[in-house]
Amino acid sequence: MEEYAREPCPWRIVDDCGGAFTMGVIGGGVFQAIKGFRNAPVGMRHRLRGSVNAVRIRAPQIGGSFAVWGGLFSTIDCGLVRLRGKEDPWNSITSGALTGAVLAARSGPLAMVGSAMMGGILLALIEGVGILLTRYTAQQFRNAPPFLEDPGQLPSKEGTPGPGYPSYQQYH
Amino acid sequence: MICTLLRAVRCTERLHGCPGKPWFLPHSVPHRACSQTEPRWRWGLQEQNTAARPRYIWGVNQRSIWTQGRSLQSAKEDGSKRVSVHRSQGGETVLSTSQKVKEAGRDFTYLIVVLIGITITGGLFYTIFRELFSSSSPNKIYGKALEKCRSHPEVISVFGEPVKGYGEATRRGRRQHVSFIEYTKDGLKHMRVKFYIQGSEPGKQGTVHLEVKENPESGEYEFRYIFVELEPYSRTIVIEDNRS
Repeated sequence: MEEYAREPCPWRIVDDCGGAFTMGVIGGGVFQAIKGFRNAPVGMRHRLRGSVNAVRIRAPQIGGSFAVWGGLFSTIDCGLVRLRGKEDPWNSITSGALTGAVLAARSGPLAMVGSAMMGGILLALIEGVGILLTRYTAQQFRNAPPFLEDPGQLPSKEGTPGPGYPSYQQYH
Repeated sequence: MICTLLRAVRCTERLHGCPGKPWFLPHSVPHRACSQTEPRWRWGLQEQNTAARPRYIWGVNQRSIWTQGRSLQSAKEDGSKRVSVHRSQGGETVLSTSQKVKEAGRDFTYLIVVLIGITITGGLFYTIFRELFSSSSPNKIYGKALEKCRSHPEVISVFGEPVKGYGEATRRGRRQHVSFIEYTKDGLKHMRVKFYIQGSEPGKQGTVHLEVKENPESGEYEFRYIFVELEPYSRTIVIEDNRS
């Protein structure tokens, strides 16, 4: 596990920012291509030119705003991990709420609260999906529960330390 | 270029209130107003402000056309208003039976879609609430065990003061998922959880194993054992041992 020896957290920000930008550019590119196609005058050449123009102008903007959202979310998430000292689904939900609030800061406090709620609810839904996926895909791999004894590393009640062989347990 | 040309033509249409006329070449069309892209209603207001200035389009005096255009526009608006009122009054008798059935079918489909959406969202919310707030969720148990680890003097001496905990590394480095296993023994539910802790001492990483057992009277989970296993020389620190 040498490649995971370094902490994911500061590098995760760059990771998330870039990933969000790519998602925004690709998704925005597809939508803007269709929109530019439809809003252009009749004639295939006009339509294609309109489509390309719309993508050229709007897709980087959409990618940029996605990247801002993703980078800010990841920054706040890493900050919370550093602060609380443990990694939790709570970090994600709070980060989503704070990101929504910060990005709506120019529209006043009421808009900040609404945006924070939307961000928090969105992140809660995403976390729920993640949890469900993890649980159900892990359950597929679980065999019949073996007869589980107390692990060998735990010293027995008499006080003699147990040997260091790994316990044959299946976690998910 | 084509877009600005179109916009200029639309601008003149609004100006003169007769969209059905054939294409004119807008030489001296007020580009200033038309060069603004959005919103469209601003064009109308700006045009009213500058209506006093006479302009030459097609050799006709601008002012007369402007007033004509305005009256035409207002007449058209009244006409459209009248038309809309008339349509709503006679609305119910226009729908035939087949159209009603189609409408009902469409409404029913929308209702089904909305119900499915609500069900899925409700299921997700229930999952996340159970995960975060129920005391029998692995995350809560992990939180409680982490607190116990943090306040244990031997752990502090080995790892260094701010002890942080995390779970399994999922995709892109997020480590929120703690691995756990549930099983039933003698009719009581047990759960084993495994997570990792790390302190400020570099390179020292420990694995925490714990087991909880369901208390039959209160329904709460109680710790059976918690121990920390250190990687390099597999020394174990027992934090709690309640096996009976």
